[in-house]
Amino acid sequence: MAENSGTDPAVETNTEENAAASATIIKVTVKTPKDKEEIAIAEDSSVSQFKEEISKRFKAKQDQLVLIFAGKILKDGDTLGQHGIKDGLTVHLVIKTLQQQMQRQLMSNPEMLSQIMENPLVQSMMSNPDLMRQMIVANPQMQQLMERNPEISHMLNNPELMRQTMELARNPAMMQEMMRNQDRALSNLESIPGGYNALRRMYTDIQEPMFSAAREQFGNNPFSALGGNTDNSGVQPSRTENREPLPNPWGPPDASAATTTTTSGTATTTSSTTSSTTPSVSNPLGISSSSLGNGMFNSPGMQSLMQQISENPQLMQNMLSAPYMRTMMQSLSQNPDIASQVFTNNPLFAGNPQLQEQMRQQLPVFLQQMQNPESLSVMTNPRAMRALMQIQEGLQTLQTEAPGLMPSLIPGGMAAGIPGAPLPTGVNVTPENPPPSGPQQLMQQMLQMFAGGNALTQTPEVRFQQQLEQLSAMGFINREANLQALIATGGDINAAIERLLGSQPS
Amino acid sequence: MMAASSGVKVPRNFRLLEELEEGQKGVGDGTVSWGLEDDEDMTLTRWTGMIIGPARTNYENRIYSLKVECGPKYPEVPPTVRFVTKISMNGINNSNGMVDARSIPILAKWQNSYSIKVVLQELRRLMMSKENMKLPQPPEGQTYSN
Repeated sequence: MAENSGTDPAVETNTEENAAASATIIKVTVKTPKDKEEIAIAEDSSVSQFKEEISKRFKAKQDQLVLIFAGKILKDGDTLGQHGIKDGLTVHLVIKTLQQQMQRQLMSNPEMLSQIMENPLVQSMMSNPDLMRQMIVANPQMQQLMERNPEISHMLNNPELMRQTMELARNPAMMQEMMRNQDRALSNLESIPGGYNALRRMYTDIQEPMFSAAREQFGNNPFSALGGNTDNSGVQPSRTENREPLPNPWGPPDASAATTTTTSGTATTTSSTTSSTTPSVSNPLGISSSSLGNGMFNSPGMQSLMQQISENPQLMQNMLSAPYMRTMMQSLSQNPDIASQVFTNNPLFAGNPQLQEQMRQQLPVFLQQMQNPESLSVMTNPRAMRALMQIQEGLQTLQTEAPGLMPSLIPGGMAAGIPGAPLPTGVNVTPENPPPSGPQQLMQQMLQMFAGGNALTQTPEVRFQQQLEQLSAMGFINREANLQALIATGGDINAAIERLLGSQPS
Repeated sequence: MMAASSGVKVPRNFRLLEELEEGQKGVGDGTVSWGLEDDEDMTLTRWTGMIIGPARTNYENRIYSLKVECGPKYPEVPPTVRFVTKISMNGINNSNGMVDARSIPILAKWQNSYSIKVVLQELRRLMMSKENMKLPQPPEGQTYSN
């Protein structure tokens, strides 16, 4: 009979969470820029309890919520009373989207980042170029940027590039290596007349907006911690792997980047030479940095540029492997002088005019090969590179076992010898680097070209004998120029003719 | 002692208390917020403000914290405003976050009918201007050290 009164206390409690708090319930309006809800909460609740309620109502996770009252951010440990939040007042809410959240977490926690990267799920996601591309393109700022800079969309549309970038992003060790190499490779930039300006231009046109777009989205690059850089770095694994720009015509040597080939033309060949003189060095490019960097790399502006460039290694490569590299290489092949300038500037080369000559001759061939899309695709394919490397090793062995064979491969043999030297050391020293570091790959590639190209026909002259005759029959009497043109176009007569006609004023 | 512009000259504290109340009630569209920095501040001088970065700009979804100081002559003279959260924007000093009163129209042509809310809303509006919306921004969460 008296049960009614006994059940009172049970009914008294208002909400589950506030059972312990009892006290008065207040109604607080929670406002986002988009909408507004009224939430009932106990007056003496903590901010985190409040957030629990809010997360239910707004269907967002508690740690995505940022609450603002009277110009202050409410911390989880505070109470509503502390901030003077009373009945009828309004609290502002910002829901941090997943991206931002992730970015912040990643930024603050490099170990977490590496864990994430090693997570097979992430890896598989990243190996899906379409997915990555979609994610990138979905970013509105990227879209704007793409409108302004069509090259970027080209780049994004190139599955090869995407894949290579992702390969890179997946392998932190590789990235570190690359970043380091990149720093050094960049020293070559200065040595190219006009290269610095071109770089600068590209930087301001493209890199800055890209940086801002990516940065705005993703803030500091967590990879910076991973890659050992202290500055803001460029690559985001899960979102955009590209802060696209950073056109470095002399892109860093990278396992999969085609752009490394440009560097190759200059940096790696020089470095390979240097390393042949000091065989104990395992990282060919390391040498080149010291030898080339000193005179070349003295302006502070350049330094900072390089800093930033080095923060975005693969972006750079990606960027470059698309239009810029082509352009660069074209201009290089049209102007072997530039390349030879580089070579002459290299003090090590200076002492060896023979080598210089050699390089000079070979350069147009290099460039031509680089421009060959097939070479490029080979170079972007890590497995192919590995295969090449094995070939390289084989040739190396051959060289030592049967030196008599090599002379017949000259001038190819010479080049073979040079890249051959650093390679074994490089290979031995870094066996665990799944795609071997850039310069070595490049070496093999070049070797391959040489071995393939020159083994059959000794010199370009011989190769293009027929074309040369044709050209002179047509009235192009400058044999030197003809040869150059043919080399540059790989034996294509029509293209060579155009070339010759185009360069007539010179 | 007559008001320079239209309207009656409102006593400072009265005005600021009104603004305090408005800040707590969340008057406006929910994209700016303001309140006393210290609830015990009887002089009602130091205020904190928040601006939520507008969408489709480089400020999007970021929360900018500001300090607003209403001096003794407020509201006849504009308050001094300073960003605490790092921001890249025209009229804001890059190294200390001070808002340059000459560059912000509302501060340059101040009227006593303006308020802290108006200042914050104006700054937010300027974030959406062509010249500011695409400025590269520092990483989120950085503040000026002073």
